[in-house]
Amino acid sequence: MNITEFQEELLSKAMGAGFEEAEVYYERSNSFQCMIFKGDIDSYETSEDSGVGLRGLYKGKMGYAYTEKLDEDSISFLIDNAKANAAILDEDDGTDIFEGSKEYVGYKFYSEELAKVQIPEKIELLTTIEEKILAYDPRIVTLNYCVLQDFSGERLLSNSKGLSLHENKNGLIIFISALVKEGEEMKTGSFIKMTRDFGSLNADEIAKEAAEEALSNLGEKSIPAGKYPIIMRYDAAASLLSTFAPIFSAENTQKDQSLLKGKVGKKIASDFFTILDDPFHPDAVAGSNFDGEGVATKTRAIVSNGTLETLLHNRKTAKIEGCETTGHAQKASYKSTLSVAPLNMYIVPGHKSKDDLITSLSEGILITELSGLHSGANTISGDFSVAATGFHIKDGTISSSVKQMTIAGNFFDFMKDIEEIGSDLHFRPGGYGSPSLHVKELSVTVD
Amino acid sequence: MIKQSIIENVLEAALSTGGDFSEVFIEDKYVNRIELQSGKIEKSISGRDFGVGIRIFSGLQSIYTYTTDFSEEGLLIAAKRAAHAIKGGAQGIIHPLRKETFNPIHQIALMPQTVEHARKVSVMRKANEIARNYDERIRQVALRYIDEEQNVLIANSEGKFVEDTRVHSRLSIQATASDGIEMQTGFYGPGAHAGFEFIENLNLEHYAGEAARIAVTMLGAEECPSGKFSVIIDNEFGGVIFHEACGHGLEATSVAKDNSVFANRIGEKVAPDIVTYIDDGTLPNEWGSLNIDDEGEKTRKNVLIENGILKGYLIDKFNARRMNADATGSSRRESYRFNPTSRMTNTYIAPGTSSPDDIIASTEYGIYAKYMGGGQVNPATGDYNFAVMEAYLVKNGKIDSPVRGATLIGNGAKTLQLVDRVGNNLAHGAGLCGASSGSLPVNVGQPMIRVSEITVGGTKGE
Repeated sequence: MNITEFQEELLSKAMGAGFEEAEVYYERSNSFQCMIFKGDIDSYETSEDSGVGLRGLYKGKMGYAYTEKLDEDSISFLIDNAKANAAILDEDDGTDIFEGSKEYVGYKFYSEELAKVQIPEKIELLTTIEEKILAYDPRIVTLNYCVLQDFSGERLLSNSKGLSLHENKNGLIIFISALVKEGEEMKTGSFIKMTRDFGSLNADEIAKEAAEEALSNLGEKSIPAGKYPIIMRYDAAASLLSTFAPIFSAENTQKDQSLLKGKVGKKIASDFFTILDDPFHPDAVAGSNFDGEGVATKTRAIVSNGTLETLLHNRKTAKIEGCETTGHAQKASYKSTLSVAPLNMYIVPGHKSKDDLITSLSEGILITELSGLHSGANTISGDFSVAATGFHIKDGTISSSVKQMTIAGNFFDFMKDIEEIGSDLHFRPGGYGSPSLHVKELSVTVD
Repeated sequence: MIKQSIIENVLEAALSTGGDFSEVFIEDKYVNRIELQSGKIEKSISGRDFGVGIRIFSGLQSIYTYTTDFSEEGLLIAAKRAAHAIKGGAQGIIHPLRKETFNPIHQIALMPQTVEHARKVSVMRKANEIARNYDERIRQVALRYIDEEQNVLIANSEGKFVEDTRVHSRLSIQATASDGIEMQTGFYGPGAHAGFEFIENLNLEHYAGEAARIAVTMLGAEECPSGKFSVIIDNEFGGVIFHEACGHGLEATSVAKDNSVFANRIGEKVAPDIVTYIDDGTLPNEWGSLNIDDEGEKTRKNVLIENGILKGYLIDKFNARRMNADATGSSRRESYRFNPTSRMTNTYIAPGTSSPDDIIASTEYGIYAKYMGGGQVNPATGDYNFAVMEAYLVKNGKIDSPVRGATLIGNGAKTLQLVDRVGNNLAHGAGLCGASSGSLPVNVGQPMIRVSEITVGGTKGE
């Protein structure tokens, strides 16, 4: 079925069925993924899929429905279900369907060059990387993950107010995890990279980085529990930021689910701490020209030198507070209702390299990986107590890796306790970035 | 869902380049999700997921493709695109499809698609009131209701042709308590492989009351001390510790490639005599249960560890090849979008003989974990971590004051050896488990157990 025709028919039938306003959201994507194990293709996956969501105002309330089966019956399925869902809501959504922003940046999230790269080239790169890692050091036992994934997709938003937006996106991710063994000690180390520039991927560099990451974790020692100054490496810092990003959502402050309620204009973090949300950052692969309601996105300061500049809003939360939307309506897919989320949030880098941050510590811990954030971090209280991988720093140098640790603290305190910010900004595939951070102290317990 | 002749053509096209096994997984799923927050029904969405997954094996190579294009042409293109990954061989053999039937173990009384939204909403409102009225410090209650009716058809080149309908219903309750300065939360999320009858018969006083009680209790809790302590983990969702600490390490996904500390150790003593660990997908209407797995194999009771001896692994069809073993009815996938692999269903520690009171009374000093949060494991090394949602200090054989921010870390294989008490009060709890074949409903279960020493991380320090 042709999507343009389907869309027009759905909109006109929805309006005919009593919707005051309606919007159709469509996504289509293709992907390829393969995993190499000991020189062979272990798994090989391709996909092609699409789905459509209907969002419509019915008797003043916003109903939703979606389907992945596009046929004659799906139009009535969408209309009937969206009506039934609108009917049980307790109040007006407070918003209507959006007529469109004056201007859109029109940033390109799609690389024609990347689209031209053929599957055999991708497999060859991945096979070469595996080979080089396995040959790098005899202590490398195997790669428990050696995966390449790429995707391309389009999304389309059109509504009864005449707005029609379209965007293409593609990208490629490489994920590697190596298992290393020395005596009885076993460790893993992982590497992840997302890019739109296939040519920038260098097998030697990737192999070296992934192998060194895993090998460096060997030789673990235990250290006494206690409070230690912390260098949180860029990737661990970005994962912590992504976990606590919901605190910046106005949807959460309005529902008493974030302690940043009433804090706009107030100091919430140390003076050097600035957070930007930049959907067009060239080093990041996440981002978009329009949000889930069709509002134009733009680069914004969320925290400037420690002061909370704004919360993240969609049109509904903005209306409640009498302000403008910040273009942060999130629609994770056609299967989702609207919520609020950042596009590509990151901590603005400072001037010192990670090594310089380490040199400045007489004693401390370098954290390179956090795990268990989904369960050990509470975005409502700000408390976190999670497992960590890292190194003991003594007299300004790394002395050894540390046995599995937990680190515990509170994110609201963490933002205030940042003493220095590194220059090494890195982005995660999901759209969060950070440089390495020097934090005053966290509670550390070692296994 | 799709004509048998088309399925046969797709299975054949998938083997056109020399693959030795092909499979089609067709999924047609209806979903309803309703959210209540601030006392109001705020979001409600319904939908239909529909797609087809095609899988091909060629020796130890597995190829997977999926599409939402259900036309014969679209399916054949997808099958050929997948087959293209195999380097030229002779057309593989397709056996005639034979329709299999079975007596469903999990009876569904009230199909959720036939129940009006209003009835679902009414249960949510009751739960909201119970949690709100529990204590004036309860500031927010968020309820998430979800039901799913998943119709699947699985056919393969060996002649398998089987259909099933899986129905899942769940109500998640999150309560937030505040004293004006701090906020704490409590959570309970009962779920079942059952229809709306499960939701309507839920003991809301218990589940909503507990979510609220946990939030309020944690508000007054002190920071948890850190160090190595005896840890008592209560029954039901407490079993998540073994799900992470050893369940994942027993999945063929890890074992087949020796990426597990439990690989090649069948017959070895991996735990004390009092530990028996079982995965059972046949428990009637349990959240992790299935009639057939996602390769069409009947689920079964798999004894993994018996009286401390490692007896078996959870094995899917593909890894069975690498391991030269039989599949165990354990192959699962979130949806047609995922290549299936070995996963847990309802996994639990079998009941022992100790009474919970005696376990606590015999503990001089330690931590009592009443409700666990989630956790994570690195299957290759066995290193795990968990959050404890509601914890207490134990002093001189008695439960003392509540503590918050407790995290447990350790190594699964080592922790398993340190289990020194297994209680007699087995119960199961519902969770969602995320791994390579997606997010799946699983039960974790156990009676109360005690581990003689686990490293506890907390904010208070030593």
